Amino acid sequence: MENLEAARLQMAITLIFHIVFACIGMVMPFFMVISHYKWLKTRKEIYLKLTKAWQRGVAIFFVTGAVSGTALSFELGLLWPEFMKHAGPIIGMPFSLEGAAFFVEAIALGFYLYGWKKLPEKFHWFTGVIIGISGVMSGILVVAANGWMNSPSGFTYENGVFSDINPIEAMLNGAWFTQALHMTLAAFVATGFAVAGIHAYQVYKGRNVELHKKAFRIAIIFAAVAALLQPISGDISAKDVAERQPAKLAALEAHYETEKGAPLYIGGIVDEEKQEVTHKIEIPKALSFLAFGDFDAEVKGLNDFPEDEQPPVAIVHYAFQIMVGIGTLLAIVGLFYLLSLKWKKWQNHRKFWLLFTLMAPLGYIALEAGWIVTEVGRQPWIIYQVMKTKDAVTPMPGIFYSLITYTGMYIVLTCVVSWLLARQIKVLNQNEA
Amino acid sequence: MLTVVLFFLFFSLFLYVLLAGADFGGGIIELFSSSKNQEKTKQTIYRVMGPIWEANHIWIIILIVILWIGFPQYFNIFVVYLHIPITLMLLGITIRGLAFIFRHYDAVKGRSQGSYNALFKLGSILSPLFLGVIFGGLVGGNINLFSENPNLSFKEIYIDGWFNVFSVLIGVFYIALCAFIASNFLIGEADDEDELNLYRKKASYSTIILVFIGLVILAYGYFNEIDFVIDFIENKYSIIAVAISGIVLIPLWKMIKLKRKAWARILAGVQVLLIVSAAMLAHFPDVIITSTQEISILDGVAPDSVIQVLGIALLIGGAIILPGLYHLMKSFQLIKLFK
Repeated sequence: MENLEAARLQMAITLIFHIVFACIGMVMPFFMVISHYKWLKTRKEIYLKLTKAWQRGVAIFFVTGAVSGTALSFELGLLWPEFMKHAGPIIGMPFSLEGAAFFVEAIALGFYLYGWKKLPEKFHWFTGVIIGISGVMSGILVVAANGWMNSPSGFTYENGVFSDINPIEAMLNGAWFTQALHMTLAAFVATGFAVAGIHAYQVYKGRNVELHKKAFRIAIIFAAVAALLQPISGDISAKDVAERQPAKLAALEAHYETEKGAPLYIGGIVDEEKQEVTHKIEIPKALSFLAFGDFDAEVKGLNDFPEDEQPPVAIVHYAFQIMVGIGTLLAIVGLFYLLSLKWKKWQNHRKFWLLFTLMAPLGYIALEAGWIVTEVGRQPWIIYQVMKTKDAVTPMPGIFYSLITYTGMYIVLTCVVSWLLARQIKVLNQNEA
Repeated sequence: MLTVVLFFLFFSLFLYVLLAGADFGGGIIELFSSSKNQEKTKQTIYRVMGPIWEANHIWIIILIVILWIGFPQYFNIFVVYLHIPITLMLLGITIRGLAFIFRHYDAVKGRSQGSYNALFKLGSILSPLFLGVIFGGLVGGNINLFSENPNLSFKEIYIDGWFNVFSVLIGVFYIALCAFIASNFLIGEADDEDELNLYRKKASYSTIILVFIGLVILAYGYFNEIDFVIDFIENKYSIIAVAISGIVLIPLWKMIKLKRKAWARILAGVQVLLIVSAAMLAHFPDVIITSTQEISILDGVAPDSVIQVLGIALLIGGAIILPGLYHLMKSFQLIKLFK
C-alpha cells in the first residue's frame, strides 16, 4: 500500500472511532443532568440510580475520548507534517480554545464524579451542566477547524507562502457555522437514538423495565427533536456546499455533466469508468432547486473540473445516499415517537420497543457517512484549492505499519468499551432483580 | 506576547512532567511493591489523583497545540523525525488509559483485575520511558536531517535519532523521576506508621536511583562529547539549578522526617521544577540538536498576528482553567495539607 493511501486510511479510521467517543462524551452529560435534575426534584431513587449509571458511561467515554484525542492531536502532525506546518498557526485559534474547553470539561468532570455528598447539591448538579456545555463547545470548535479546510480564509497565499495570517478570520470561516450546526444536531440524533435504543432493548427484553423506560424517555426526546431539525440544517449545508465546493456537490450527486434544471438522483450504481449512474430514481429539476432554490439553475458537472481536481465519486455518492436516507428515516421515527406521546397505547406494544432497538446504530452510521461525504468529497485537497493531500503527507515510509498499529489500538479500545458497558447494564439489572 | 506563549509552553511542560509524572509514578511504585502493599498503593493513588486524573493528561494536549500553533517549524521536525517513539509513547498512554478505565469502572470486581493491573504497570513504564527517549532524541545530537543528505537510509533518518544509549538513559531518568514524585506525594497520604515507612522507603530508593542515573547521564554525555551535556555542565544557570535541586534534597528529607507533609510535597515539586528548568535552560532557545546543527525553537516562529492571538487565548484560558483546577484540588483536599 502506498504511503499516502495508508496515511489517509489511518486518519479515516482514527477519526471514525474518535467521532463516536467524542459525540457520546458530548451528549450523554445532558441525559445525565436531566436524570439528576429529576432526582433532585422528585427524590425518586430510580433517578439517582439512572444518573449514576449514566455517570459511569460518561466517565468511561471521557477517558476513552481523551486518550484517543491525545493520539489524534499527535497524529495530525505525524501523518500530515506539511499541512500542520502551514495550517497549524492559521487554525490554531479553534484548537487552542478547544483545548481550553476540554480542560474545563475535565475539571467539571472531576467535580462531578467525586462531588457526590461532598459538594452542595445544586453546585454539584451545575458542574454536570458545565460538562455538557463545554463538551459541545469543544465539538463546535473542532468542526470550525475542519470548516477551514473546506473554506480556507484568514490568510493570503502566494507562490507557496502563507502570509497576512488572521487567526480569528480563519476560525470564523465560511463553513464553520453550517458544519457546526449540522454536526451538533447529528451528535444529538446519533447518541440519542443509540442510548434510547440500548434502553429500548432492555424494555423489550423485560429487564428492569421501570428504569429503562425512564432512561429511554430522556434520551429519545433529544433524539426526536434533533432528528426533526436536522433536515433543515442539511438543506442549509447543501446550499452552502453548492456555492462553495461545486466539485463536492457534483460528486455527492454523481453528476458528470453540467446542466440546467438538473435532476436529483436517488440511489443508483455509479460506474466511474463509464461516468454514468444506473438504477437510480430521478426527480426532474429537483437538484437545481435544492441546491440553488431555482428549478432552472445550472449545476456544474464533474467534467467541468480538471481531472486531477475531481474527488472520488462512487464512495461520496453512496455515503451521501446513506446519510440522507437514514436521516429521513430517523426524522420519521422521531415524529412517530412524539405522536406516541399523545397516543400512549402505542408504547404498550412490544414492537414499539423493537423498532427503537433497531434504530440504535443508525444515527451513528449516518453520522460517519456524513463525515465521509465531507472529507472524501474535499479530495484531492487537504486545504481546499490551496494544498493537496499528497503534498501534506509525511516523508517517512512504512506508514502501513503505523496504520496497523493504530487500527489495532482503536479496535481494542472499542471492544473494551463495549464490553464494559454491557457489563454495566448487566450489573444494573441484576441489582434490581 | 511571545514571552507569554513561551511561559505557557514551559508551564504546561512542567505541570505535565509533575502531575502526569506523579500518575505514572504511582504505577511504577505499584510495580515495585510487594503484592501485599500493591492494593493499598493503588487505592491511595486513586484517592489522591482520581479527581484530577483527566485534567493531568490534558497538559500534554495543551503543550502540543501551543507547539504546532506557535512553533510550526519546530513541531515539524519533532513529528517527522521522532515519529516512531511518539507512536510508542501514545501506545503506552493508550494502554494506561485502557487499564485505568478497567480498574475503576468495571462493574464486576473480579479476577480480571489482575490483568488490568499488569497492563496499567506496563503503560506506566512505557509512557515515561518514551517521553524521555523523545526528549533525549531532540537534544542528543543524533538526528540526521534528510534535507542535508538525501542518501540516508530509513534507519539513519528515523531510528538512529532516538534509539541510542543517551536517549534511553533520559527515558530511565524520567521513570525514576516519576517514582520520586509519586512516592513523595504518597508520603503525605499515609494513614499509619507502617504505610508511612513504606512510602518513605520508596522515596529514598527512588531518590538514590534518580541521583545515580543523573550522574550517569552527565558522565556518559561528558565522555562521549554529547553537546547537550557539555553545554549543560558549562551553562551556569543549569548547573546552579541542578546544584540547588541537590541541596533541596536535604530539607526535603528533613521535612519528611518531621512529617511536615505539605512542605515535603512542595519541595518535591520544586525539585521537578529545577530539573525541568535546568534541562530547558541548558540550550535555550536551541532545543533541537541534530547531528550537524542546533535549531532554535524561535526559528520559523509563527507570525506576530498568530502569537498575539495565541497569547491572549492562553491568558484567558489560563484565567478560567487555573482557578478551576485550584478549586478542584482544594475541594478534594489534595491541598488540604496547606491549610
